[in-house]
Parts: sequence; C-alpha cells; structure tokens
Amino acid sequence: MHIPDGFIPLLQTIIYWIIALVFIALALRWARKELSEEKVPIVAVLAAAIFAIQAFNLPVGMGTSGHLVGGALAAIILGSPYAAVFILSIVLIIQAVIFGDGGITTMGANIVNMGVIGGFVGFYAFTGFKSVIKNPYISAGIAAWFACFIPALAASVELWIAGTFPLVSGMVAMGTYHAAIGVIEAIITAVAVYLIWHARPELDWSTTEQVDLGGVTAA
Amino acid sequence: MMETKHFVIAGIAIAVIIGLVAIFFASADPDGLESSALVLQGDKTLTGETPPDAELTEDLHGGFSYESPMPDYELPDTGIPGQVIAMLVGIAISFIIVLGVARVASGKKEAKNG
Repeated sequence: MHIPDGFIPLLQTIIYWIIALVFIALALRWARKELSEEKVPIVAVLAAAIFAIQAFNLPVGMGTSGHLVGGALAAIILGSPYAAVFILSIVLIIQAVIFGDGGITTMGANIVNMGVIGGFVGFYAFTGFKSVIKNPYISAGIAAWFACFIPALAASVELWIAGTFPLVSGMVAMGTYHAAIGVIEAIITAVAVYLIWHARPELDWSTTEQVDLGGVTAA
Repeated sequence: MMETKHFVIAGIAIAVIIGLVAIFFASADPDGLESSALVLQGDKTLTGETPPDAELTEDLHGGFSYESPMPDYELPDTGIPGQVIAMLVGIAISFIIVLGVARVASGKKEAKNG
C-alpha cells in the first residue's frame, strides 16, 4: 500500500511528514532506552528480511497481489510498536529513494500508515488477543491481519482527504483487497514469530516474565 | 538458543532466498492500493481480473516527480541479472543501514540482559 507521489497534494504530505517525524523521534528514544547491543543485529536482519519479503507479491485473486508489510512482525518480535516504526521507516526510505516504490513526498504518509499505525495496531492487537486466546502464534496472525487492514483503511481516508479517492468506494476497494492481503500478512507473521522465538527463546517477552534490565531479578 | 552470529547468517540467507525466488515467482498483478486506484479510475472491476493494458494515473496533484536509480527493483534494461543485483543491493543496504542506525541510536550500551 505504498502511496506514490502525486496521490496526495504537497501541503497535506507535510502534515503526514510531521506526524511521522514525531514517531521517528520516539522510535529513536525507544532504541536508546530499550535496544541492547545483543538485539542490534537481530533488528538489522529483521529489516533485511522484511525488505526481501516485501518484494514477494503473492496473488490474492480479484486481479490483485499483495505482500507482507511487516509492521506487526517487527512490533511483536521486539516487543514494542516503536520497533516497527524504527524498522519500517528505514525500509520505506530505502524503497522510495533507491527503488521508486512509494513516493518521496508521500513517504511521511507511508511511514504513518505502515510503520506507526501498522506497528501500534499489530502490537496492541497482539497483547489483546494473547490475553484472551493465550496462543501467541495465532494471536500474532490475527494481530497481523488487523495491522494490514487498518492501515489500508487509514490510507483510503488520507486519499479521500487528498481528493484522490471517493470515501465510500475507496474504503470498500482498499478494505476488500487488504482483507485478502491480510491473510498473507497473518500467515507469514505467525510462522516467522514461531520460528524466531524458537531460535531465540529469550526474545519471547510474551510468555516469560520480563527479564529485568539490570540482570538481577526476573520478577 | 541460536547464537546471534548464526541467527544473523540464517536470517540473511532466508532473506536472499526469498528475494531471489520473488524475482521469478512474484505476482505481476497490481497491489491493493494500485488495484483500488484502477477500480476508482474505471479501468477494473472490484473482483474482476486486471486488464493487461490498465495504466495507473499517478500525477494527480502534480508538483513533484522523482527518478529512482533502480525503479521497480531492477537496473534499467538489464533483465534478470539486474533484478538479482537490485534485490541483493536492497537486502544489503537494509541490513547495513538499520545496523548502523540501531547501533548509534542504542548508544552502544553494554548488553546487560544476556
């Protein structure tokens, strides 16, 4: 759902840029506070994998294809919506600047949709579903579906404000396609969370108690 | 527990495999946003196939355009090898930049919870 240049008027793109920059600053603060040296390479490899998998468009019928966005995945693996903002912002900058995927002026909107909204919806939907259905992988899958669907609706509202899409038929089209694409997001996220948390059980913050950063207590 | 070095190597290997498989098997159909735009500009029905000649009208508001060095994830006019290079460059750049930014942003503090 990378919005290209020309889909949103310049003046409006500035507003999304400001919102994006606020969250990027918060994500950098998250990195300073929460990101241990141990996790730095894991964040980097997650970004590389998200870049690669975003290039893999899978058919979802209706003459449409879609790919993993990865906001829910990043947020769930690293235990913070700001991890999604951190990783997705950099990946989106690289995609737009080097590969022309997503606009430059609309990059702020794309960061807001896929990084911020995707990350926050993915993270809080995960903790919500996890508290009800207990299974972390099914919870991750459901959360990922919402983390694809809700940003798509947000994008259609932004494009309505921009005068590019009509409101109702825009939301119907975006909602329909991303409800289908969300299934891809759900399956890949659930499998990836399962594999990564099995390879690195200490990353699983959802089942084990939070390990104290001082290493003294595991309350 | 998988060591960090092995985790990173395995992760990069998986990324490269997915990226290379994508070059050959990724769907050429438009994505959800492009499909929506095609529906709304009248070139596609909601659930129907996308006509092969459907073109996205992009420059709706004007004012800015940008030429990226590797548009559509390929070196222009180089075919499959260009796509492979673009993919490997993208994976490498994503890893290196995020590694660098994360290292600086985290302030290289000691790993205390290992």
